[in-house]
Amino acid sequence: MSEITSAEYKKVAGHSIADPVLQSALESLQSRLGPATQNLYQNLPEGQELRKTAHGYRRKAIDNLDILLETLADNVHKNGGQVHFAATDEDAVDICLAIARTHNVKKVVKGKSMVTEEIGLNHALEEAGIDVAETDLGEFIIQLAGEKPTHIVAPAIHKTRQQIGRLFSEKLGTPYTEDPPTLTFDARKALRQKFFTADMGISGCNLACAETGHITTVSNEGNIRMSTTLPKVHVAFMGMERIVANLEEQQSLLRLMSMGAAGQQIGGYVSYIGGPAAEDHCDGPEAFHLIIVDNGRSKILADEEFREMLCCIRCGACLNVCPVYGKIGGHAYGSAYTGPVGAVVTPLLFGVNNAADLCTGETLCGACRQACPLEINLPRMLLALRAKLSEGDPKWEVQPKGKFEKLMFEAWQKIIQRRKVYNGFLKIGYVLQKILPGQDGMIRRLPFPFNGWTNKRNLKPLAAKTFMQRWKDRAGGKP
Amino acid sequence: MLGRTEFIQTISKALGRGAANPADTDIFTTSASPDQEAVLARIKTRSPAERKQLRGIIEQVAGPLHIDFHPEDNLQDIAGSIGRLIRDKDPEWGTEKSVVRWDHPLLSRLNLESLLELDGVPLHTTDSEAIDNATKVSATEQQVTVREKVEASFIGITSADYLVAATATLAMRSRPGHARSVSLVPAIHIVVVEEEKLLANLEELYTLLKWDPKEQALGLTNCLSLVSGPSKTGDIELIMVHGAHGPRELHLFIVAGKGE
Repeated sequence: MSEITSAEYKKVAGHSIADPVLQSALESLQSRLGPATQNLYQNLPEGQELRKTAHGYRRKAIDNLDILLETLADNVHKNGGQVHFAATDEDAVDICLAIARTHNVKKVVKGKSMVTEEIGLNHALEEAGIDVAETDLGEFIIQLAGEKPTHIVAPAIHKTRQQIGRLFSEKLGTPYTEDPPTLTFDARKALRQKFFTADMGISGCNLACAETGHITTVSNEGNIRMSTTLPKVHVAFMGMERIVANLEEQQSLLRLMSMGAAGQQIGGYVSYIGGPAAEDHCDGPEAFHLIIVDNGRSKILADEEFREMLCCIRCGACLNVCPVYGKIGGHAYGSAYTGPVGAVVTPLLFGVNNAADLCTGETLCGACRQACPLEINLPRMLLALRAKLSEGDPKWEVQPKGKFEKLMFEAWQKIIQRRKVYNGFLKIGYVLQKILPGQDGMIRRLPFPFNGWTNKRNLKPLAAKTFMQRWKDRAGGKP
Repeated sequence: MLGRTEFIQTISKALGRGAANPADTDIFTTSASPDQEAVLARIKTRSPAERKQLRGIIEQVAGPLHIDFHPEDNLQDIAGSIGRLIRDKDPEWGTEKSVVRWDHPLLSRLNLESLLELDGVPLHTTDSEAIDNATKVSATEQQVTVREKVEASFIGITSADYLVAATATLAMRSRPGHARSVSLVPAIHIVVVEEEKLLANLEELYTLLKWDPKEQALGLTNCLSLVSGPSKTGDIELIMVHGAHGPRELHLFIVAGKGE
């Protein structure tokens, strides 16, 4: 299992906000990718309706997941591949280790895969004495630096070219440069030998096609094609929900995914892989294993409130518009799944209480839903998680928040339902606020239990007249 | 560790399967819809002039996708242009030049072997003749040989099953003689396709792969690669760099159609 650090959310978010390099990287990312994606949606030949239709495809696939997975497994078998089912992260790792032992694997090259990060695969392989090389340039940089990815699609955007230059000269022994093409070439050279000598290639799966029995992988660098073509064994991991029924649905979904992920009409390299190379083919792996991972997904599937989350195709479009992600970056979310998608998926997979700050940290502004190629209703699910945190839910093992907060909100509810009482409190507040410490006409500190609001910022004082009073004064109460 | 049966049972239970909640019966499409039939008909009846238009579209989208589109459209001119690329381009690794190509009828017709520009540069073919009636051992040996040739080559030459105009997407299926690595490992990928292989958009490609009887018989094979442009990355400060792991350059030639 991978290490989840979502409990550190506030601390890490604080560091990120104070990091000027990260702030400018996030601004640049959001200002470029967000609008590029929107522009493509607006110019869809099928019209924006396609997004709703595609949501329907995904929902139907999820609602028939048992049938689709059986069909996929049968078809992959027919193509000569082997399919494994892993109920937990440990199972998934063990299956991969067993395959590695069978083929006497010493060196592994990997394409970027969220689910392998979720299950902590790299660590387990390294423990077993296997050399693991991440081959996506961003992931490679992160691996060399011993850090965690900060974005689903662009894992190393938090690093400057100067930092990468120093990292490469230190770890790869190449002359220092801050020229991105030269740095890319240095990584190309270092990884080329790894591709040629690896015994096993590991990939994720963007979206499997049940009727043909193929997984698909999408990349722009070509690293996944290398990892799945050159080594003699190919192991593909897929979260059990990453599947569609047929080719025509996949056509729409892969295009929408490419738009959401990188503002492209279609990813540079899309590969359909259905099994090992045929005997009379002159290259390709001799063994193909597909590991289908549950690891908490069936629990999400069983809950109608969150089932929609399994429609997600992990393109990362929501990260590129989220005002919260745009300030705190990916590290604060504390798992492989960052941004708005992470704020829903991380609590559901790793425990709602463990990741409580994630869903309360988001603003519910709705930008993620608009940016999602499938218009997945993330704000609705964030709100549902907040309700669970407030009320508690034995099904999700959620401990409710303290009684004190609940009492406070009940009192607040009673006050705002009674206009006269509310006005009374406003008057008292207006008088009392004068004894609070102030600064430039602002309140600098509120007393307990409201002090959280003024920890990091000053609060505007209550106005002498309420809006309702001013309304009456101005227009005599008439609109 | 759960087996397949238990794994699927867990899912069925989560879905609340039972008499009241059966699986949908229309998950898999069994016949082409009227719209899809229309797409198939459009592909079949496309005139040479319409294909010329598709060629024009590719010319337009090639630039932004960093594809080198070459205007030559007959075999002799294309062969000459490829010869000049072999002569003028520098190898990425080391100083020795070597070129590898698919064992493909169209590429054979180019007669690249007789090019003067080769000037001693070895031109390998990933042929499958050696294993035609042989054992698994010789198939493995063949694979080792192909791998050596591909790794040593700075240019890889392939054709493609189809070329989609709207996105300049090449569709390449794995077959005997068509090594997947030829379009991947060498620094420069040269593609030669016939105008007859042009399709308008991805929808046409998918509809054809799914419903055309000939395509159904072949299937997607164990590896179908869709390639739209050379390898690229934006992982360092979002600056676009070509040639991350795959080819740095993609050169595209389209052979003009017959019977016009």
